[in-house]
Amino acid sequence: MPRSKLFAVVHTPYFRLQCAQQKLLNAEIEFNQQTNLPLFGETKTVHKTGDKIPSALLDDAEIVEVNPAADAAGVSIGITPSLALARAPELQLYSSVAEQEEQQQEALLQLCYRFSPFIENTSPGVCTLDLRGRKDQHQEWWARELLAEWRILGFTAQIGIGPNPELAEQAAKFANPYLAVNANSQLLRSLSLESLQPSHELLDILHNWGIRTLGELVHLPREDIGVRLGLEGLALWDRASGRSTKVLHHMQPPEIFRESIDLEQRLETLEPLLFILRRSLEHLTLRVESVYRLVAEIRLLLLLDNEETLERSLQIPAPTRDVAVLFRVLAQYLETVQTTAPVVGFVLEVFASNPGKHQFDLFQSGLKDPNRFFNTLARLAALVGNNRVGIPEKIATHRPDSVRMQWPAFDWMDKAPTATKSPRIGPALRRYRPPIPARVELISGKPVKIQSQSVNGQINKLAGPWRSSGDWWYTDRWEIQEWDIELTQGGLYRLTLSAGSWSITGGYD
Amino acid sequence: MPQSGKIIELRQVLAERFPRELPSPSSLLATGVDCLDRPLEGGLRRGSITQLVAPLPSCGSASLLHELIESMQAASQFVALIDGKNSFELIDPANLLLWIRCDNVSQAIRAADLIIRDGNIVLSILDLKHNEARELRKVPATSWYRLQRVTAEFETTLLLITSYYISGSSIATLQINNSLRITDFSELSSTIPQSRLIDFIYRKNHQVEPQYAQV
Repeated sequence: MPRSKLFAVVHTPYFRLQCAQQKLLNAEIEFNQQTNLPLFGETKTVHKTGDKIPSALLDDAEIVEVNPAADAAGVSIGITPSLALARAPELQLYSSVAEQEEQQQEALLQLCYRFSPFIENTSPGVCTLDLRGRKDQHQEWWARELLAEWRILGFTAQIGIGPNPELAEQAAKFANPYLAVNANSQLLRSLSLESLQPSHELLDILHNWGIRTLGELVHLPREDIGVRLGLEGLALWDRASGRSTKVLHHMQPPEIFRESIDLEQRLETLEPLLFILRRSLEHLTLRVESVYRLVAEIRLLLLLDNEETLERSLQIPAPTRDVAVLFRVLAQYLETVQTTAPVVGFVLEVFASNPGKHQFDLFQSGLKDPNRFFNTLARLAALVGNNRVGIPEKIATHRPDSVRMQWPAFDWMDKAPTATKSPRIGPALRRYRPPIPARVELISGKPVKIQSQSVNGQINKLAGPWRSSGDWWYTDRWEIQEWDIELTQGGLYRLTLSAGSWSITGGYD
Repeated sequence: MPQSGKIIELRQVLAERFPRELPSPSSLLATGVDCLDRPLEGGLRRGSITQLVAPLPSCGSASLLHELIESMQAASQFVALIDGKNSFELIDPANLLLWIRCDNVSQAIRAADLIIRDGNIVLSILDLKHNEARELRKVPATSWYRLQRVTAEFETTLLLITSYYISGSSIATLQINNSLRITDFSELSSTIPQSRLIDFIYRKNHQVEPQYAQV
């Protein structure tokens, strides 16, 4: 027996108004941070009050969205702001924020995509999910989980579940916050015909017949509807009875995880900026988590008061969803930044990647916490200098002391150890950097005595000279003569003659 | 100052009555360098500082350092070398070696502190052999003690190489006693550390009294 189709609709009432309220909330946080007001208590108060006091969205000099409090106060859609304020003096007016609406709609789609791969971007703040393939006994569990995540992003919504998208959407409008209905539901039967949006002609005919609700329509025999109203009437009857469904325009949400915020105040200190950034980072991480991915890169664009911008991409060595780790990377970068003007906004974007795969052999071990390690490396570089910490690598030349420091690659932990080398002869050298200038006494061209700042004495035994040269085809050609010497009082050293000057370049140890 | 006979006798009685526990193999980091692992009964103690004193200008401590790094590389273990005087001479490529080139002791100790707190590196080597004695003496004892506490907390292993005995915070201190000769240039590099005469000059909970090496 085939499973009956089931659809869910996430309905965010007065979505555009909620987006505008979100923007105001950010401004409140920013203000509290700057004035050191008690943050959490204050922002909660603002947000709760925002739900209770009449609020309306203003677009093109007329009211386009109202919250229930404003609706109860008599503020209706389409009226002018002055009329609205006359009806409700405590009314809060917000202007629309198109960019925020677009970003939050993307966030909604990304959240819904986690619960069903078949989703439709129905309208702003509304997403329809085709629940085929979900075998949950209790749809309410995942629905409440989705609502909770949407709530974390700052939005209040309702979910309706029904046999077709239209009925599910109607259920969502009446849900508190979750409602599952079937075709025989009393609630649906009492809904007006307009909820299914039939054509005006069809609606007029049905009204003339005295049919005003879905329940009244489905009481009529289907065949007779077909005979009298044709295919359009049949389709309406099927939708009202839950037999047929409209075709969903399936889409895959874009994997763009970006939040941009224009600040109300100019930020001159790091602390309030970090606080708002952390909040945005939490939102973005939640969205990345909803698509089962990890954050591999953070891009931050700071907008400055003098219209300059400062952009930086920060790689995450080991992709993660841990907000604390990501925030540490961001904060560490910002601590080193000096801007030419106060910050007036930012764009924070994270790039998702798949979890890395590490396959070690039996005895190979990886770094325990690569992110922490690269954080430590940055601190070490700040302590000793950028080119003085890393993996040493020999440069392909015979010039002595030719080593460059390589910054460990992100897959450093995966690299195979160096292959076993052929046996070497003699003790290792400790190099003096820079070499110690020396005065050398020679007899028959061989050093017999050495005098320098730290090494002095008669030479007991020696080996050499070992001559080498190179880069003669460049201007910085080099030519050296090296001697290995043993002093009478003990100690093996390397003595070097270069450009007519003697120096001790190292001690064997 | 010589210790009185009674104290030594008391220590012997206590040692007999309360024999020390052998460290479990998991608490030791086998370096693969025989001249270190053998006297240390299996390897360097994890979560502790082990000190290697190389009092003579040429006694093979750098050769031992290279041998140790190569051995750890062969075992796919990460090593951090905190080079107190930027004197390390790279011979062969070392993929798993993190080299931190410091200019002075203060910088090296801070770098060691960061590396140990990181907790990712199995073995950290703090090489202060070329740093001058007067510079080392300026380091307050509390710095060594703090390094020891951090090492214990993060369960990493620290090998400290110096030219004289300085740290009272190490669990064991070994000293290389014989000097290199020019004839050693004909020896295989790997045999040089093995031919070193290495003795304990300090060992925690043992009957070895600290002997202060000459700089």
